Amino acid sequence: MGTRERRYRSNESDRYLASLFKKALVSLPPKAAHSGIALAAVGGYGRAELSPGSDLDILILHNDSLSESELSEFINKLLYPMWDTKSVDHSVRTRTQTRDAAHDDLKVALGLLDIRLVSGDADLVAAVQHDSIDSWRKESRKRLPQLRLSLEERHERAGELAYLLEPDLKEARGGLRDINALRAIKMSGAIDIALERISWAESILASVRESLHEVTKKNRDRLLFQEQDLVAKHLEYGDADLLMSDVARAARSVDYLLNSTWHRIDFKGKDGLGRILRKPRTTSLGGGISVAHQEVVIDELEDLNADPVIGLRAAAKAAQLGLPLSLDSCERLSAILKEGGAQLPQPWPREARENLVALIGAGSAMIDVFEALDQEEIIFSWIPEWNSVRSLPQRNVLHRHTVDRHMVETALKAAALTRNVHRPDLLLVGALFHDIGKGTQEDHSERGARLIEPLAKRFGFPQEDIETLKILVLHHLLLSATATRRDLDDPATIASILAVIPDLETLELLHALSIADGEATGRAAWSEWKASLVSELVSRVRNAMSGSTIALQPDISDEQREVAQSGILRVILEERDSDYSIEIISPDKPGLLSIVAGVLNLARLDVRSARTKSHGPSAVMKWIVTPDPHAPAITAEKLHRDIEAGLKDSKGIEERINDRALAYAQLPTIPVPAPIVESIRDAATDATVFEVRSHDRPALLFRIGAAVTQSQVDIRSAIVTTLGAEAIDTLYVTEISGGALSDERAREVRERLAEMLK
Amino acid sequence: MKLITAILKPFKLDDVKSALQAHGVNGMTVSEASGFGRQRGHTEVYRGAEYTVDLVPKVRLEVLVDDSDASSVVDVIVKAASTGSIGDGKVWTTPVDQIVRVRTGERGVDAI
Repeated sequence: MGTRERRYRSNESDRYLASLFKKALVSLPPKAAHSGIALAAVGGYGRAELSPGSDLDILILHNDSLSESELSEFINKLLYPMWDTKSVDHSVRTRTQTRDAAHDDLKVALGLLDIRLVSGDADLVAAVQHDSIDSWRKESRKRLPQLRLSLEERHERAGELAYLLEPDLKEARGGLRDINALRAIKMSGAIDIALERISWAESILASVRESLHEVTKKNRDRLLFQEQDLVAKHLEYGDADLLMSDVARAARSVDYLLNSTWHRIDFKGKDGLGRILRKPRTTSLGGGISVAHQEVVIDELEDLNADPVIGLRAAAKAAQLGLPLSLDSCERLSAILKEGGAQLPQPWPREARENLVALIGAGSAMIDVFEALDQEEIIFSWIPEWNSVRSLPQRNVLHRHTVDRHMVETALKAAALTRNVHRPDLLLVGALFHDIGKGTQEDHSERGARLIEPLAKRFGFPQEDIETLKILVLHHLLLSATATRRDLDDPATIASILAVIPDLETLELLHALSIADGEATGRAAWSEWKASLVSELVSRVRNAMSGSTIALQPDISDEQREVAQSGILRVILEERDSDYSIEIISPDKPGLLSIVAGVLNLARLDVRSARTKSHGPSAVMKWIVTPDPHAPAITAEKLHRDIEAGLKDSKGIEERINDRALAYAQLPTIPVPAPIVESIRDAATDATVFEVRSHDRPALLFRIGAAVTQSQVDIRSAIVTTLGAEAIDTLYVTEISGGALSDERAREVRERLAEMLK
Repeated sequence: MKLITAILKPFKLDDVKSALQAHGVNGMTVSEASGFGRQRGHTEVYRGAEYTVDLVPKVRLEVLVDDSDASSVVDVIVKAASTGSIGDGKVWTTPVDQIVRVRTGERGVDAI
């Protein structure tokens, strides 16, 4: 099965048609028979690619010197013998008519790009070929958008070859027609395309299609379920799963090349003379990463070995901006990784983990970036476990996607649910790897729970987080199964859940994961009906659990207590591997949290976490910050001075922060789930606790602090955590005179916070 | 001929299916449904938003039987579906004019 057979078939057809052609010529006057008439192959036949069931696409060219009756007699003589034996698609045109037809019809124009002489006047065919390619090149600016639109319409109709259970090998996205489209785009000269990247894919898809035609003795290109086993056997694959896995891989590589090609055309347009039309504008994001041509690029001079996290950083940045990673940067990174360079330390540093979480949490923008990491095989260097699920088919009516794509889709749905949990990082990682155990006969939940442990360890998660992830993977089907199959009124049902889920935090994570998994699987497995059953189960389990998910006020040491009592300002700065730990004990006053947050923001320090607590006349604060790539060096003394100045006059800080916000480069942002603001009266501490869960953004904490201060309340304690790109801020608040807030007042503060977050 | 329709609690489906099969009933149609009877509506929190639920998830099960079997099949379903608590559901019969088996064309009682 292969090119040789297809070429052989094509040669046979050529011989057959040529002989018919010559016989038909006999009916014409001698002058006409020698020149001015020709038979050409176009389209797939023109490329000499014939499957057993293929139509013969032919074009009969003439120079208009024959009368109508002579011409039609000739055509009849030519075609009649083939009438019931071969399937022939023919047109009869002069050179001018061909030009006009191509001008009016994209399909005709595309078919002509592959025109080839079968028999007759070679000059006439050569002239038409020249016309076709020439006008295709000249009119590419008009034709390529037409081509793109027709591709999109076709994809809409036929779906994605890589993920359908019964795909159409020719029409679906990533299939044979797309390969032809890529060739046509290259021929137009608009952009150079590395077609060799898909030569394996093309040979696979063409062989599978050919085998399908042979095995079914039909001309259909749709690979139905029952035919997959036959084709697999015919092509000597072990089973249909292995066949469809290759088909999926082939389709994905075609789709990827097509997407990157369109993107490069959009943003790297050159005119016909090869002059670059748009002046390239590069925006530096710091850390060796920039944005150019609406792509994220790793700067040329970066030493990838010295900074192995840069790949993850670039991927996270790209996803969070909704932009692709540049093909060149991916190729560069891939090459170094394959040589064994740019290896991440084990366990991963915090920055690598945070960037992974930010990448996963980016929502739909993540899919393209992830696909690039897969296609360039970068993801396998970072996460070798991904190999076992790559393009692994799930050939049943329940699942639409291959296992790896399903996990990515689950992560995508989970990204929309990050506001529902207190550990968005664990939700996102759990979602992305929940089915990692698939691919063997063993129960995939159990196997997955085993596989996630070393993986999570490598990411640098602490042991208790690893335990949570194990529970999530082991029990990701528990809630759906229990909700539909067991009596929710029976205490034993609730008890069985409580036996495996240790706390509220894990329960809310498992609930969100169940929803994400269900939505990603599709309507066959998940519906409002099922969702409400699961919700009911969860609320009953929640009621049976004690404890809460609210972050607790931090403890302070005796030494800190002493310094706090004295009312002086003290700043201690500790430089760690990739961040700074800053302890600040400061005289307390309204707005202190904003003042310090503002000072840190102006020093270009990004707050990763903060724990503050009032004690006596002061507040004891512990901040973990990472310097922004453009940050100047900081010292404890400078911070001390800045805070002192801020304590005296806080207005200046707000102005400067607003100015900085305006100066940020205009880069696109992705849609993110709406922020959530909640308040709870906490009896234990006689305070009202406000929790703000939102997407992280510059000066977030400054603004939260400012909004709360405006309400004339006292912040007793604050616990701030940033996980990936998500922020969770918990504030213990009392009236200035003391005591928790009334419901009215709590609502007032909630509304101010919500307003500020818009 | 009769159509027996049963509204059940979702988790009871397996029990009712087994009981029917043990009783000799070989075909049935199952669909997801929601409804309420004399259960009070209650407030729920779903995805962070409160809403009032009066439609509770149920399962609808439908079986075609001969007239002489109707009564016993109803009994089998009721027995298997019962938990004694609110929301157990209902079972009812409706008369059927004609039944045809698509594959063979058999009609009437032969199509059951």
